[in-house]
Amino acid sequence: MFVIVVGAGKVGYFLARELIQSGHEVAIMERDRARAAQVTEEIGSIVIPHDGCEGKYLGEAGANRADIVAAVTGDDEDNLVICQMAKHHFDVPRTIARVNNPKNESLFKHLGVDEIVSPTRMILGSIEADIPVHELLHLAVLGGGELELVEAQLREGSPAVGCTAGSLSLPDGCSIFAVIRDERALSVRSDTELREGDKLIGIGRTECEAELHRLLLGEDEATA
Amino acid sequence: MPEANTPVFRRAVIALSGSAIDAGIVRLALEVTRHTHAELIAVHVVELDWTQPLDADVAERSEEAQRVLDAAEGIAELMHGKLESVLVQARDVGAAIVDEAAAREADLLILGLPYRTRFGGDFAIGRAVPYALKNAPCAVWVVREPMGEESR
Repeated sequence: MFVIVVGAGKVGYFLARELIQSGHEVAIMERDRARAAQVTEEIGSIVIPHDGCEGKYLGEAGANRADIVAAVTGDDEDNLVICQMAKHHFDVPRTIARVNNPKNESLFKHLGVDEIVSPTRMILGSIEADIPVHELLHLAVLGGGELELVEAQLREGSPAVGCTAGSLSLPDGCSIFAVIRDERALSVRSDTELREGDKLIGIGRTECEAELHRLLLGEDEATA
Repeated sequence: MPEANTPVFRRAVIALSGSAIDAGIVRLALEVTRHTHAELIAVHVVELDWTQPLDADVAERSEEAQRVLDAAEGIAELMHGKLESVLVQARDVGAAIVDEAAAREADLLILGLPYRTRFGGDFAIGRAVPYALKNAPCAVWVVREPMGEESR
Protein backbone atom coordinates (compact mmCIF):
# COMPACT_ATOMS: atom_id res chain seq x y z
CA MET A 1 0.00 0.00 0.00
CA PHE A 2 1.24 3.51 -0.80
CA VAL A 3 0.70 5.97 2.03
CA ILE A 4 1.44 9.69 2.02
CA VAL A 5 2.03 11.03 5.50
CA VAL A 6 1.76 14.80 5.69
CA GLY A 7 3.61 16.27 8.66
CA ALA A 8 6.90 14.91 9.95
CA GLY A 9 6.49 15.81 13.57
CA LYS A 10 6.65 13.10 16.21
CA VAL A 11 3.38 11.49 15.07
CA GLY A 12 4.26 11.57 11.37
CA TYR A 13 7.78 10.35 11.95
CA PHE A 14 6.82 7.32 14.01
CA LEU A 15 3.82 6.57 11.82
CA ALA A 16 6.03 6.52 8.72
CA ARG A 17 8.63 4.38 10.43
CA GLU A 18 6.06 1.81 11.52
CA LEU A 19 4.50 1.72 8.05
CA ILE A 20 7.89 1.17 6.42
CA GLN A 21 8.66 -1.63 8.85
CA SER A 22 5.34 -3.22 7.89
CA GLY A 23 6.42 -3.21 4.26
CA HIS A 24 4.37 -0.29 2.95
CA GLU A 25 5.59 2.34 0.51
CA VAL A 26 5.64 5.69 2.28
CA ALA A 27 6.24 9.29 1.28
CA ILE A 28 6.43 11.98 3.94
CA MET A 29 5.71 15.65 3.28
CA GLU A 30 7.18 18.25 5.58
CA ARG A 31 7.29 21.96 4.83
CA ASP A 32 9.93 22.79 7.43
CA ARG A 33 13.13 22.19 5.49
CA ALA A 34 15.30 21.72 8.56
CA ARG A 35 12.95 19.10 9.95
CA ALA A 36 12.65 17.46 6.51
CA ALA A 37 16.44 17.19 6.30
CA GLN A 38 16.61 15.72 9.80
CA VAL A 39 13.98 13.08 9.03
CA THR A 40 15.67 12.26 5.70
CA GLU A 41 18.87 11.67 7.61
CA GLU A 42 17.13 9.30 10.00
CA ILE A 43 14.63 7.51 7.81
CA GLY A 44 15.96 7.79 4.23
CA SER A 45 15.17 9.67 1.08
CA ILE A 46 11.39 9.49 1.28
CA VAL A 47 10.81 13.00 2.52
CA ILE A 48 9.40 15.64 0.20
CA PRO A 49 10.35 19.02 1.66
CA HIS A 50 7.19 20.85 0.62
CA ASP A 51 3.85 21.93 2.00
CA GLY A 52 1.20 19.23 1.65
CA CYS A 53 -1.50 21.91 1.66
CA GLU A 54 -0.49 22.87 -1.86
CA GLY A 55 -2.06 20.75 -4.56
CA LYS A 56 0.98 20.96 -6.78
CA TYR A 57 3.22 19.40 -4.16
CA LEU A 58 0.64 16.87 -3.06
CA GLY A 59 0.53 15.81 -6.71
CA GLU A 60 4.32 15.58 -6.88
CA ALA A 61 4.21 13.35 -3.82
CA GLY A 62 2.15 10.85 -5.82
CA ALA A 63 -1.35 11.57 -4.52
CA ASN A 64 -2.69 10.34 -7.87
CA ARG A 65 -1.76 6.77 -6.91
CA ALA A 66 -1.88 6.93 -3.10
CA ASP A 67 -4.06 4.45 -1.26
CA ILE A 68 -4.11 6.55 1.88
CA VAL A 69 -3.29 10.14 2.76
CA ALA A 70 -2.77 10.69 6.48
CA ALA A 71 -2.68 14.35 7.51
CA VAL A 72 -1.05 14.46 10.93
CA THR A 73 0.26 18.00 11.24
CA GLY A 74 -0.35 19.93 14.43
CA ASP A 75 -2.77 22.21 12.62
CA ASP A 76 -6.41 21.15 12.19
CA GLU A 77 -7.04 23.58 9.35
CA ASP A 78 -4.08 22.22 7.38
CA ASN A 79 -5.15 18.63 8.00
CA LEU A 80 -8.64 19.39 6.75
CA VAL A 81 -7.37 21.09 3.58
CA ILE A 82 -4.94 18.22 2.87
CA CYS A 83 -7.63 15.56 3.26
CA GLN A 84 -10.17 17.44 1.19
CA MET A 85 -7.69 18.02 -1.61
CA ALA A 86 -6.57 14.38 -1.51
CA LYS A 87 -10.16 13.17 -1.56
CA HIS A 88 -11.73 15.47 -4.09
CA HIS A 89 -8.86 16.44 -6.36
CA PHE A 90 -6.81 13.25 -6.43
CA ASP A 91 -9.52 10.68 -5.63
CA VAL A 92 -7.52 9.13 -2.83
CA PRO A 93 -9.62 6.21 -1.54
CA ARG A 94 -8.95 6.81 2.15
CA THR A 95 -8.09 9.96 4.06
CA ILE A 96 -7.17 10.08 7.72
CA ALA A 97 -6.83 13.28 9.72
CA ARG A 98 -5.45 14.08 13.10
CA VAL A 99 -7.87 16.40 14.89
CA ASN A 100 -6.36 18.29 17.76
CA ASN A 101 -9.44 20.22 18.83
CA PRO A 102 -12.32 17.78 19.51
CA LYS A 103 -14.78 20.51 18.56
CA ASN A 104 -13.59 20.14 14.95
CA GLU A 105 -14.44 16.44 14.73
CA SER A 106 -17.94 16.86 13.35
CA LEU A 107 -16.74 19.43 10.81
CA PHE A 108 -14.11 17.01 9.51
CA LYS A 109 -16.70 14.27 9.18
CA HIS A 110 -19.17 16.61 7.55
CA LEU A 111 -16.58 17.68 5.00
CA GLY A 112 -15.82 14.14 3.91
CA VAL A 113 -12.69 13.08 5.81
CA ASP A 114 -12.93 9.29 6.01
CA GLU A 115 -11.37 8.81 9.40
CA ILE A 116 -10.49 11.18 12.18
CA VAL A 117 -8.17 10.53 15.08
CA SER A 118 -8.38 12.83 18.05
CA PRO A 119 -5.59 12.34 20.58
CA THR A 120 -7.29 14.88 22.84
CA ARG A 121 -10.51 12.88 22.81
CA MET A 122 -8.63 9.64 23.46
CA ILE A 123 -6.79 11.03 26.46
CA LEU A 124 -9.97 12.59 27.75
CA GLY A 125 -11.74 9.26 27.46
CA SER A 126 -8.94 7.55 29.28
CA ILE A 127 -9.02 10.06 32.11
CA GLU A 128 -12.79 9.87 32.39
CA ALA A 129 -12.68 6.10 32.51
CA ASP A 130 -10.33 6.16 35.49
CA ILE A 131 -12.03 8.83 37.54
CA PRO A 132 -15.40 8.01 39.10
CA VAL A 133 -17.26 11.18 38.21
CA HIS A 134 -20.94 11.89 37.92
CA GLU A 135 -20.68 12.13 34.15
CA LEU A 136 -21.59 10.39 30.97
CA LEU A 137 -18.49 8.72 29.61
CA HIS A 138 -17.99 8.96 25.86
CA LEU A 139 -17.08 5.52 24.62
CA ALA A 140 -17.17 6.12 20.87
CA VAL A 141 -18.40 8.43 18.19
CA LEU A 142 -20.55 6.76 15.56
CA GLY A 143 -22.48 7.58 12.43
CA GLY A 144 -20.18 10.27 11.14
CA GLY A 145 -20.08 12.07 14.48
CA GLU A 146 -23.82 12.40 14.92
CA LEU A 147 -24.19 9.56 17.40
CA GLU A 148 -22.34 8.78 20.59
CA LEU A 149 -21.94 5.60 22.53
CA VAL A 150 -22.04 6.53 26.21
CA GLU A 151 -21.80 4.96 29.61
CA ALA A 152 -23.53 6.23 32.76
CA GLN A 153 -22.90 4.79 36.20
CA LEU A 154 -25.87 5.15 38.51
CA ARG A 155 -25.02 6.30 42.00
CA GLU A 156 -26.92 7.01 45.17
CA GLY A 157 -29.37 9.76 44.35
CA SER A 158 -29.33 9.22 40.60
CA PRO A 159 -32.91 9.80 39.38
CA ALA A 160 -32.96 6.58 37.37
CA VAL A 161 -32.25 4.34 40.40
CA GLY A 162 -35.34 2.27 41.18
CA CYS A 163 -36.99 3.02 37.83
CA THR A 164 -37.63 0.43 35.18
CA ALA A 165 -35.91 1.02 31.84
CA GLY A 166 -39.29 1.27 30.12
CA SER A 167 -40.45 4.04 32.42
CA LEU A 168 -37.64 6.41 31.42
CA SER A 169 -38.71 9.04 28.91
CA LEU A 170 -35.56 8.97 26.87
CA PRO A 171 -35.05 11.68 24.26
CA ASP A 172 -36.02 10.76 20.73
CA GLY A 173 -33.27 8.80 19.00
CA CYS A 174 -31.65 7.61 22.24
CA SER A 175 -31.73 4.14 23.70
CA ILE A 176 -30.16 2.14 26.49
CA PHE A 177 -29.34 -1.35 25.40
CA ALA A 178 -27.13 -2.88 28.06
CA VAL A 179 -26.54 -2.81 31.79
CA ILE A 180 -23.28 -3.87 33.34
CA ARG A 181 -24.05 -5.24 36.78
CA ASP A 182 -21.66 -7.28 38.93
CA GLU A 183 -19.18 -7.44 36.02
CA ARG A 184 -21.82 -8.99 33.77
CA ALA A 185 -23.47 -7.46 30.75
CA LEU A 186 -27.28 -7.77 30.72
CA SER A 187 -29.53 -6.80 27.89
CA VAL A 188 -32.10 -4.20 28.85
CA ARG A 189 -35.82 -4.96 28.71
CA SER A 190 -38.58 -2.54 29.52
CA ASP A 191 -39.08 -4.20 32.94
CA THR A 192 -35.39 -4.15 33.88
CA GLU A 193 -35.12 -2.33 37.16
CA LEU A 194 -32.15 -0.01 37.37
CA ARG A 195 -30.04 -0.17 40.50
CA GLU A 196 -27.38 1.87 42.20
CA GLY A 197 -23.98 0.85 40.78
CA ASP A 198 -25.38 -0.19 37.40
CA LYS A 199 -23.45 0.97 34.38
CA LEU A 200 -25.86 1.80 31.59
CA ILE A 201 -24.61 1.62 28.03
CA GLY A 202 -26.58 3.72 25.62
CA ILE A 203 -26.50 5.33 22.26
CA GLY A 204 -27.89 8.70 21.35
CA ARG A 205 -27.64 11.82 19.30
CA THR A 206 -24.86 14.14 20.40
CA GLU A 207 -27.24 17.02 21.11
CA CYS A 208 -29.28 14.85 23.53
CA GLU A 209 -26.36 14.37 25.89
CA ALA A 210 -27.50 16.95 28.43
CA GLU A 211 -31.05 15.55 28.54
CA LEU A 212 -29.76 12.00 28.92
CA HIS A 213 -27.51 13.15 31.72
CA ARG A 214 -30.43 14.82 33.52
CA LEU A 215 -32.65 11.75 33.24
CA LEU A 216 -30.10 9.19 34.35
CA LEU A 217 -27.72 11.03 36.64
CA GLY A 218 -29.42 14.25 37.58
CA GLU A 219 -28.69 17.84 36.61
CA ASP A 220 -25.28 18.22 35.01
CA GLU A 221 -23.34 20.60 37.23
CA ALA A 222 -21.32 21.79 34.27
CA THR A 223 -24.37 22.84 32.32
CA ALA A 224 -26.79 23.66 35.16
CA MET B 1 50.94 -7.46 -11.06
CA PRO B 2 49.63 -4.70 -8.78
CA GLU B 3 52.21 -2.64 -6.97
CA ALA B 4 52.69 -3.45 -3.30
CA ASN B 5 50.97 -0.31 -2.09
CA THR B 6 47.98 -0.56 -4.47
CA PRO B 7 44.81 -1.52 -2.61
CA VAL B 8 43.27 -4.77 -3.81
CA PHE B 9 39.57 -4.77 -4.44
CA ARG B 10 37.36 -7.81 -4.83
CA ARG B 11 34.21 -6.14 -6.06
CA ALA B 12 33.68 -2.63 -7.33
CA VAL B 13 30.49 -0.80 -8.17
CA ILE B 14 30.75 1.87 -10.86
CA ALA B 15 28.02 4.50 -10.85
CA LEU B 16 27.12 5.56 -14.37
CA SER B 17 25.35 8.87 -14.76
CA GLY B 18 25.08 8.94 -18.52
CA SER B 19 27.56 11.80 -18.86
CA ALA B 20 30.85 11.93 -20.75
CA ILE B 21 32.85 10.95 -17.69
CA ASP B 22 31.31 7.46 -17.60
CA ALA B 23 33.83 6.16 -20.16
CA GLY B 24 36.71 7.44 -18.06
CA ILE B 25 35.61 5.79 -14.84
CA VAL B 26 34.85 2.49 -16.56
CA ARG B 27 38.37 2.50 -18.05
CA LEU B 28 39.85 3.42 -14.68
CA ALA B 29 37.98 0.60 -12.94
CA LEU B 30 39.10 -1.90 -15.56
CA GLU B 31 42.71 -0.75 -15.26
CA VAL B 32 42.74 -0.86 -11.47
CA THR B 33 41.28 -4.34 -11.31
CA ARG B 34 43.07 -5.74 -14.36
CA HIS B 35 45.41 -7.95 -12.35
CA THR B 36 43.15 -8.78 -9.44
CA HIS B 37 40.21 -10.03 -11.49
CA ALA B 38 37.84 -8.11 -9.29
CA GLU B 39 34.16 -8.23 -10.13
CA LEU B 40 32.94 -5.01 -11.74
CA ILE B 41 29.32 -3.94 -11.58
CA ALA B 42 28.22 -0.90 -13.55
CA VAL B 43 25.03 0.61 -12.12
CA HIS B 44 22.83 3.16 -13.82
CA VAL B 45 19.98 4.57 -11.77
CA VAL B 46 16.81 5.87 -13.36
CA GLU B 47 15.24 8.27 -10.92
CA LEU B 48 11.46 8.05 -10.71
CA ASP B 49 9.30 10.74 -9.22
CA TRP B 50 6.62 9.85 -6.71
CA THR B 51 3.83 9.89 -9.26
CA GLN B 52 5.02 6.50 -10.49
CA PRO B 53 5.47 3.30 -8.52
CA LEU B 54 9.01 2.00 -8.24
CA ASP B 55 8.14 -1.06 -10.28
CA ALA B 56 6.78 1.00 -13.20
CA ASP B 57 8.12 -0.23 -16.51
CA VAL B 58 10.27 2.80 -17.26
CA ALA B 59 13.97 2.00 -17.25
CA GLU B 60 13.77 -1.11 -19.39
CA ARG B 61 12.00 0.87 -22.09
CA SER B 62 14.36 3.80 -21.88
CA GLU B 63 16.73 3.93 -24.85
CA GLU B 64 18.93 6.37 -22.98
CA ALA B 65 19.37 3.96 -20.05
CA GLN B 66 20.22 1.12 -22.42
CA ARG B 67 22.71 3.33 -24.26
CA VAL B 68 24.52 4.15 -21.01
CA LEU B 69 24.90 0.48 -20.11
CA ASP B 70 25.79 -0.60 -23.65
CA ALA B 71 28.55 2.00 -23.78
CA ALA B 72 30.09 0.69 -20.55
CA GLU B 73 29.89 -2.91 -21.77
CA GLY B 74 31.49 -1.87 -25.06
CA ILE B 75 34.49 -0.35 -23.28
CA ALA B 76 34.89 -3.47 -21.15
CA GLU B 77 34.85 -5.61 -24.27
CA LEU B 78 37.48 -3.46 -25.97
CA MET B 79 39.71 -3.74 -22.92
CA HIS B 80 39.09 -7.48 -22.64
CA GLY B 81 37.57 -7.03 -19.22
CA LYS B 82 34.40 -8.30 -17.64
CA LEU B 83 31.63 -6.05 -16.43
CA GLU B 84 28.11 -6.70 -15.25
CA SER B 85 25.64 -3.94 -16.00
CA VAL B 86 22.65 -3.22 -13.80
CA LEU B 87 19.70 -0.92 -14.28
CA VAL B 88 18.01 0.32 -11.10
CA GLN B 89 14.87 2.39 -10.60
CA ALA B 90 14.85 4.48 -7.47
CA ARG B 91 13.64 7.70 -5.90
CA ASP B 92 17.13 8.96 -5.19
CA VAL B 93 20.30 8.20 -7.15
CA GLY B 94 22.74 8.52 -4.26
CA ALA B 95 20.80 6.24 -1.95
CA ALA B 96 20.25 3.68 -4.72
CA ILE B 97 23.96 3.49 -5.58
CA VAL B 98 24.99 3.15 -1.97
CA ASP B 99 22.31 0.51 -1.39
CA GLU B 100 23.53 -1.43 -4.42
CA ALA B 101 27.14 -1.27 -3.22
CA ALA B 102 26.11 -2.40 0.24
CA ALA B 103 23.84 -5.19 -1.02
CA ARG B 104 26.63 -6.55 -3.21
CA GLU B 105 29.21 -6.15 -0.48
CA ALA B 106 31.38 -4.10 -2.79
CA ASP B 107 34.67 -2.86 -1.36
CA LEU B 108 34.92 0.03 -3.80
CA LEU B 109 32.41 2.50 -5.19
CA ILE B 110 33.49 4.72 -8.06
CA LEU B 111 31.53 7.80 -9.06
CA GLY B 112 32.21 10.30 -11.75
CA LEU B 113 31.73 14.00 -11.24
CA PRO B 114 31.11 15.88 -14.46
CA TYR B 115 32.66 19.30 -14.49
CA ARG B 116 29.82 21.76 -14.63
CA THR B 117 30.01 25.32 -13.52
CA ARG B 118 27.06 27.25 -12.28
CA PHE B 119 26.89 31.01 -12.30
CA GLY B 120 30.37 31.30 -13.70
CA GLY B 121 32.37 29.15 -11.34
CA ASP B 122 30.38 27.55 -8.54
CA PHE B 123 31.12 23.85 -8.87
CA ALA B 124 27.97 21.74 -9.04
CA ILE B 125 28.64 18.65 -6.98
CA GLY B 126 25.03 17.48 -6.90
CA ARG B 127 23.52 15.23 -4.25
CA ALA B 128 24.70 11.73 -5.13
CA VAL B 129 28.42 12.26 -4.48
CA PRO B 130 28.04 13.84 -1.02
CA TYR B 131 25.53 11.12 -0.13
CA ALA B 132 27.90 8.36 -1.21
CA LEU B 133 30.84 9.94 0.59
CA LYS B 134 28.80 10.15 3.75
CA ASN B 135 26.97 6.83 3.67
CA ALA B 136 28.77 4.21 1.59
CA PRO B 137 30.17 1.41 3.74
CA CYS B 138 33.06 0.80 1.32
CA ALA B 139 35.87 2.91 -0.12
CA VAL B 140 34.61 5.67 -2.40
CA TRP B 141 36.52 7.14 -5.33
CA VAL B 142 35.19 10.27 -6.91
CA VAL B 143 36.70 11.02 -10.30
CA ARG B 144 36.25 14.60 -11.36
CA GLU B 145 36.24 15.51 -15.02
CA PRO B 146 39.05 17.86 -16.07
CA MET B 147 38.16 21.53 -16.14
CA GLY B 148 37.10 22.88 -19.47
CA GLU B 149 39.57 25.05 -21.33
CA GLU B 150 37.50 28.17 -20.67
CA SER B 151 37.66 27.56 -16.92
CA ARG B 152 41.43 27.42 -16.63
